[in-house]
Amino acid sequence: MSYGWLFDPKLCIECRGCEAACKQWNGVQTLINVRWRQVYEKETVGYPTPALQVLSLSCNHCEKAWCAMACPVKAIKRRPDGIVYIDHDVCVGCQFCAKFCPYPPRPQFNAVKRKMEKCHMCYDRIDQGLQPACAANCPTGALKWGKWEDISSQGEGMVEGFTDPKHTRPHIRFITQGW
Amino acid sequence: MLTRRSMLRLAGAAGGSLLGSTRLAKAFEEVFQAAELPAGMRTVATACGICDSVCGVQAVLQDGVLRFLGGLPGDTNGGGGGLCAKGGAGIGLVYDPDRLKYPMKRTNPEKGIGVDPGWERITWTEALDTIAARFSNAISQYGAESLLVISRPSPDVWMRLLNALGVANRVDHLDECYLTSRILQRYCTGPMSWAHDFGNSKYVLLFGWDLLAKGKLVFARGIVEAKANGAKVVCFNPQYSATARFADEWYPIRPGSDLAVALAMIHVLLEENLYNQEFVANYTNFPEYEAAIRANFAPYTPEWAELQSDVPATAIRRLAREFGTMGPAIVPIHKKTLAANYTNASQLVHAILILNILAGTIDRPGGRYEARKISIPAVDAVYPRPAYPPKTGRRVDSKDRLPLVLEDGGGMFSTLADGMLTKYPGMIQAAFIMQYTMLGFPDPLRITEALKTVPFLAVYDFLPNDVAAMADIVLPGTTYLEVNDLLAREYSAKYPVVMSRRAVVPAMFEAKSIGYLAIELGKRLAPDYFKTPDGSWINPGVLLDEKTRRAGIANSFAEFPPSGLWERPEPFVPRTTFGTASGKCQIYVPQFVAKGYDPLPVWKEKRERPTAQYPYYFLTYIPAVQRRNTTENNPILTEMLPVNVANMNAALARGLGIREGDLVRLRSRTGSITLAAHLVETLRPDAVLVAHGYGQRSKLMRVAWGRGERDSDLIADQTVEEMVAAGNFAGSAGIMEAVVAIERVQDGGSEA
Repeated sequence: MSYGWLFDPKLCIECRGCEAACKQWNGVQTLINVRWRQVYEKETVGYPTPALQVLSLSCNHCEKAWCAMACPVKAIKRRPDGIVYIDHDVCVGCQFCAKFCPYPPRPQFNAVKRKMEKCHMCYDRIDQGLQPACAANCPTGALKWGKWEDISSQGEGMVEGFTDPKHTRPHIRFITQGW
Repeated sequence: MLTRRSMLRLAGAAGGSLLGSTRLAKAFEEVFQAAELPAGMRTVATACGICDSVCGVQAVLQDGVLRFLGGLPGDTNGGGGGLCAKGGAGIGLVYDPDRLKYPMKRTNPEKGIGVDPGWERITWTEALDTIAARFSNAISQYGAESLLVISRPSPDVWMRLLNALGVANRVDHLDECYLTSRILQRYCTGPMSWAHDFGNSKYVLLFGWDLLAKGKLVFARGIVEAKANGAKVVCFNPQYSATARFADEWYPIRPGSDLAVALAMIHVLLEENLYNQEFVANYTNFPEYEAAIRANFAPYTPEWAELQSDVPATAIRRLAREFGTMGPAIVPIHKKTLAANYTNASQLVHAILILNILAGTIDRPGGRYEARKISIPAVDAVYPRPAYPPKTGRRVDSKDRLPLVLEDGGGMFSTLADGMLTKYPGMIQAAFIMQYTMLGFPDPLRITEALKTVPFLAVYDFLPNDVAAMADIVLPGTTYLEVNDLLAREYSAKYPVVMSRRAVVPAMFEAKSIGYLAIELGKRLAPDYFKTPDGSWINPGVLLDEKTRRAGIANSFAEFPPSGLWERPEPFVPRTTFGTASGKCQIYVPQFVAKGYDPLPVWKEKRERPTAQYPYYFLTYIPAVQRRNTTENNPILTEMLPVNVANMNAALARGLGIREGDLVRLRSRTGSITLAAHLVETLRPDAVLVAHGYGQRSKLMRVAWGRGERDSDLIADQTVEEMVAAGNFAGSAGIMEAVVAIERVQDGGSEA
């Protein structure tokens, strides 16, 4: 049994509630350029008919996590429920994982602690029967979290600009159907 | 029984249709409400206080420390169980290390932006005694007109103090906000309404109105709901904004020309009789003034409007026809985004209200409606008081020269500096500013000069910002997470909903509430107004209990439902009479004629058009991570948008030889700022767009200090004479009127 993300861009209002919830719950250090979840806005068509692509992304807890394979000290581990996390007792901050991860925001280097950090799906919340903070606070349901067996058959596995999921099998699906 | 599996199947079945996001959100809530928090954690239901949407909040405390702010389960009319970034990051305001902790007095006699006040700690007693003495002296020597209070008109006990003292010069920022909207609504449709029934709208027409970019959850969720229910959304905005992303059609309208399109749409609706005949015949004064109305809009053809607005005439005509025939239609209005940007806002708001009236959706499904509220007694109903003295004296913001503004009571920031420096120099002898930073004023350098002329300034705030640093005495205020209150839902309430705001943590350091401040100053300055019938002083906690009890909610505030929500579901009964002078929706406003104003909107150009010297429109926006006075110093929010930039169309930049990241100087007739250029495809090529909320110069705000520039440095203030000449009778501050020159700053920082 594992979990995953379901993101529907057409519902996203770019309020960044997901980003703030992640930072607040996890006490992620601020102002050192480390954000475990980020909302990305990209222009996809030019003026005078502009279009924007909006995505809220964090770690996708890939089934074949290249970050874990790359880590020279085996600091990146997987729980029985598939959540991929970095063990800070082991991590040496070499930043290799970031070089192999195909998906922004990638693991990030905390220059103060000198460790790599990334989303761990709020497993402390999950263990208490709660949703990850980001999905819990999304006001429109654009970002959902749930059982991968339910999510994996929905929507599409990728959107424009998102690396083909066939390589690492990330646990995220996108609703691409419009209104 | 709902399982996670069955709920997610609902999500799958929903597929493209929204599911009734409220339905699905509720389904998730039902499962996860059963979850247990880790040991040492507990939750408290309260209400967010960052903006006025008043979304419910579930605060999570760990061992007494605020750990997390989540959405409130069951808050279907508000945040939907979620929170935007500003709300979710609210803990950063409570625990901000730069926060004002205790009363202080200044020791550095020099005042100015970025000047260290040399604060010395004092007790609340000394602070209050000093403020009371200075105010009392000013009033007795110079009259009540010599007191300037820059604050919002709440809470009720604060207003009791001001009214007891006969303060006429209470000024707030409403000309930059919803003053114009409230005045026009008063005469066209009734009391100020905020609520929009987007869920039942089939046609949503947006003039500006970028509430999604502002992160106002109630409205954002409403737009999502409208789209899910098949509404068409049309957006006029020089910027392809976050809201424009939800639109089926977007037009990069020429800044300030929305009025032309609105007039032309009314023209089409009248010419082709596409308005809601039943509503217009029965509930408006159209029949009485039909000839004058038709004649007024006759010249405003779509072809004419195209020349003013750059919106094609064929589109204007088609959109008007759609508006009139595609089902419940609405043109939402909310605060600054419509009512404060240009000096023709008085006419624009009037025209937009007429569009809504012609659509027949005033207090009807799919349209604007008056929130249904219960009566929560104010302090006057609980503790009777002596009569207030009359308000005499001169109005420093010149609102007396605009009768509808005077009648409304809202203030004007755009005329304040002129009042203090030119019209009435030396009149203000003592001032009190409550929760405004320097960023909130047009031309901050000028208002700083104006504030320097005041012999005594007291400031009440959370953070040591530029305005607080000008104070002779500064008082630490409580945040919304440290106080109790009752809040009636305004933005979305088809039946009465009251939220409880609870003190989640005790007041930090020596911070006190505005209620405490009002009563303590009241004891010193106006004791007869602050006693209860049994002779004791008014107590804020007891007052709140009385309000809760008399409103019929609970026997005491402590007994407010623990869910944080009190609701009285009842059927929505549409109004058949409206709160205007005639009891009908007024398209033609006869009361305006009596005051020398046009009874119907007429075309007025925006005040400033591009010139050879200033060729570009200067546009501003409020990013989703900023809100007046509460967010600048928050590290979580600052990270999301660390600095403001000069957004400009890539083609414009190329033409000026500007590359991404180059420093550019923006110069208006008022001032200049230097920002990095950011090239975009989402903006008209004759405009530059800058985010509001940056340029804090108080070094005592260590996260905000030095980041970016004040957009307001480019924004001119006004004289009331200018406003009258422009036909700006409902008091718009015109904060997007500026036109600018753009110059690339040479490498090395020296100017060409």
